[in-house]
Amino acid sequence: MIQADIPLEAALNALLLADAHALDSKDMPGWLGNYAEEEAASYICRSAENSEHGLAIGLMYDDCRARLEDRVTFVNDIWVGTFQDYRTRHFVQLTSYARIDSITVEMRSNFSVFMTPKDSGITQVLAAGEYLDRVRQGKNGELKLLSRRAELDTSVLPRYLVYPI
Amino acid sequence: MTDLKLPWPKNYNEVPKEAFVRKDIYAEEVKRIFHGTEWHPVAHESELPTPGDFKTFRLAGVPLLIGRDVEGVVRVFYNACSHRGNQLETAVMGNKTEFECPYHRWLFDSKGDLVGCPNPREFLPGFNKADYPLAQPRFDIFFGLIFVTLSAQTESLLEYLGDSQNCLRELLAGDGRLKLLGYQKVRYDTNWKSYTDNDGYHAPLLHQAFKMLNWQGGQGRQYTATMRGHICFESALSVATGPSVLKDKSLIEFKGQDPAVGSRIVSLFPTFVSTKHLDVINLRFATPIDAETVEVHYAYFAHQDDDEDMVRHRLRQSSNLLGPCGLISMEDASIFHRIHIGNHTPGSAIFQKGVHDPLKLESEFLQNDESGNLPRWEYYRSIMGFERATA
Repeated sequence: MIQADIPLEAALNALLLADAHALDSKDMPGWLGNYAEEEAASYICRSAENSEHGLAIGLMYDDCRARLEDRVTFVNDIWVGTFQDYRTRHFVQLTSYARIDSITVEMRSNFSVFMTPKDSGITQVLAAGEYLDRVRQGKNGELKLLSRRAELDTSVLPRYLVYPI
Repeated sequence: MTDLKLPWPKNYNEVPKEAFVRKDIYAEEVKRIFHGTEWHPVAHESELPTPGDFKTFRLAGVPLLIGRDVEGVVRVFYNACSHRGNQLETAVMGNKTEFECPYHRWLFDSKGDLVGCPNPREFLPGFNKADYPLAQPRFDIFFGLIFVTLSAQTESLLEYLGDSQNCLRELLAGDGRLKLLGYQKVRYDTNWKSYTDNDGYHAPLLHQAFKMLNWQGGQGRQYTATMRGHICFESALSVATGPSVLKDKSLIEFKGQDPAVGSRIVSLFPTFVSTKHLDVINLRFATPIDAETVEVHYAYFAHQDDDEDMVRHRLRQSSNLLGPCGLISMEDASIFHRIHIGNHTPGSAIFQKGVHDPLKLESEFLQNDESGNLPRWEYYRSIMGFERATA
């Protein structure tokens, strides 16, 4: 960030916080609403270990808008009542951004996610890593995620995942 | 071997829950099973496609270095320097033609031979580098699947696999010529035996996706092989019909060539589970961490002859279907945790579905039976030396 674009930076931070808030509230339609309404909108969650070795398998591989919508169906309809629920807290920190063209911005941010299973009540770290995002700017200036890759430093998860990271 | 006591019920369909939670039993399992006369899959050759490729893995705590030497031969070593035992390689995978221990700079080539060590003139008289290669456990390979045993007494790998060989070979695409797509790795808060005790009965009941997608199953064969009760499932592929709740149907689409037996599972004693379902080829390398934790590395593969579209289809299907966050498997992960909590209660776990006579063991089952797990339990009981009640 050689030259800060303060309004853009504030808008990017607002998008990061909106996503963290939707996830921590388990508001899956709200989570989906943070993504651009484009066929190519995507969310991929993958270990950095896989990426570093050129291995593409993800923990979640939602590489089109239809799959993002199906992710909401998994959590809200298909899996209901089958798992031990857990609270999460996402902490995100913007580390860099760059304008790609008039409607697209790239940004990177760090994240750490705490989880607290409802049955044990013990809080532990679920995952840490980096979000690699491409952000779309709409006609009214509003920002949405066009693509997000959650790149996990955590190569061995301490638990199965129900919600996106 | 210590003489451990655990009263075992007379009926074959009852398993005492204490077996899952007692720490003294776990310590004995490590000796008798994980360090004993069993074969353990630790990698597939396709994870090391080129000379110099290696992977490290810990089998019940024992560090292993699995590598392809400069001439292309696959070898398995203990991942410890032959000098003082320092962990030799710290990377999970990579490519190296030499391995150097940083402690005293002993250097090994990709065949495990010691090729350099500083100040050898000050060593014991008669020191010879040739006497200090990296130590190796016994290993053998079945259609690319690399097995290790830590006992000299274990029978040959083919005898060990017995009648599970055909199903396992077919699951490995018939020729073992796989191509690695990547990993999903996770720890489950459960005893290793609960992780492998998943059954055919639960599938249509726990997994709501089958019902919501109108995805019928139950037409297959389940059988056990050898005295160890390795479990094989073979079933015709059923494809979801009717209106779908999914907007992207490629997740449950089948593009392969073998719908007659499109779905296979091979579960080898003690911890290996492998599955080929739709176009997913998944090998799960698992190891106990302690009595209540098991670590599972889900490795996914394509076939070497796949075209680009098929590789992409397998990648998209594999990531979202059968792993620790998959559409029809995330719920299993939660059951592993919950059954471990429940196992801290008195009494026995009872198997019902498919049991015809509690005093007899069978080896052929229906796809949705849970009784297919019972021969394995009988083998476990016998190798642990637990006595079955007579009345």
